[in-house]
Amino acid sequence: MKLKTSAELPPLLALVQASPLTKLDGVVLTGCYLSDLLSDVLANARPGVLWVTIQTHRNVVSVASMKDIAAVLFTCGRKPEAAIIAEAARENIWLLNTPLTTFESAGKLWEAGLR
Amino acid sequence: MNPTPAVETNPKPGEKPAVSFAQELVHELRVRDAMTSLTVTASATDSLRSIQHLMKTHRISGVPILAQDELVGIVSIEDIINALDKGHISEPAEGWMSRKIVTLRDHFSLVRAVAEFDRHEFGRFPVLDGNNRLVGIITRGDITNCLMHHLERRAEEVMAQEAARVAPRADDEKAQRVVINADVKSGDFDSAGKLSQRMREVLRVRGIDPDARRRAAIIAYEAETNIIIHSLGGRITASIDPHKVSIEAMDSGPGIENLDLAMQEGWSTAGPLARELGFGAGMGLPNIKRCADKLAIQSELGSSTRLHAEVLLQKAGTSS
Repeated sequence: MKLKTSAELPPLLALVQASPLTKLDGVVLTGCYLSDLLSDVLANARPGVLWVTIQTHRNVVSVASMKDIAAVLFTCGRKPEAAIIAEAARENIWLLNTPLTTFESAGKLWEAGLR
Repeated sequence: MNPTPAVETNPKPGEKPAVSFAQELVHELRVRDAMTSLTVTASATDSLRSIQHLMKTHRISGVPILAQDELVGIVSIEDIINALDKGHISEPAEGWMSRKIVTLRDHFSLVRAVAEFDRHEFGRFPVLDGNNRLVGIITRGDITNCLMHHLERRAEEVMAQEAARVAPRADDEKAQRVVINADVKSGDFDSAGKLSQRMREVLRVRGIDPDARRRAAIIAYEAETNIIIHSLGGRITASIDPHKVSIEAMDSGPGIENLDLAMQEGWSTAGPLARELGFGAGMGLPNIKRCADKLAIQSELGSSTRLHAEVLLQKAGTSS
């Protein structure tokens, strides 16, 4: 498992065409988890990971905060409502989105070494 | 002699009037905080029928019409009802859309937005950003929801701070107990996790080890979402003692048909809306079981379900 410090992050994110929705502030990623099922994330995601999902509901922030997830990448161009983005910012969860699909994003993140 | 006022309107000395925080909020919050971010638009050549389907799929009441990225009209649910009534539902939007559009800017305060709703008769306004880009749509309902959300959040913050402040001062264990509870409404997915969040705050302030904190939060969250997804409504209570958290979830039915099946990972009876939002993985009860140090569930079909779970606590940094 690799650590991605904030210095390594921008090229990694350019690779998945990700745009930040909240400010990048001292984020360190410990790995990655892919799931659209909240209970699955509660059961299996490790703290500090980048969570890749198409879900943009308020509960994503609740679950991420409960599991100390560092960042959430929304795929397929999805973007949560402004109130949800503000909530994530308060909870110190970094939000991003990408036009790529979950599969494409995962492939590129794996290639880049986020394992 | 002064006449007695019919209604007491003056606040007690030292107490702020109850409306002041809400008033503060409508000035502080911006249109962008309350609006629904724009995902759905249609073009002027689309049929009203296809726009009606868009509204149904996305559960929205108005669709902005774009031509070459420029906002040229808006089709509202009222336009659709008229079209159905008068028989032109198959025709393109351009002949029937409202072309008289008043827009709001995303940086406007909510108090200004409310004034615009009062001034015009529209049910919704398209929202533009500083670059004249269409970024969302706002209704009166959005404003109410946004205000309620912030008021509720503020109330919860105050309650959690109060709970955390009062508790550690007491000497004996019983006095250190903090009890948090919340009514949980059936189908209210937006409120999921609120009790869990308050409980976590108390545990954090008490310096409880993050793993125990996380396990307690997952139990409360899964129990709360179970009530939201599967029951007619209920109540959840977290009692936080120095050495354990007890979580008690009680609903008012209809009961679990087969508890053995419900405990099996992957088995779910959740409906389509819950699944669409990422619930219903069939992992709720198994997750609770995995996180709890002690678990008891009583349920009978046609009656209520009661779940009692406990997590043993220790301070961060102490060995197990």
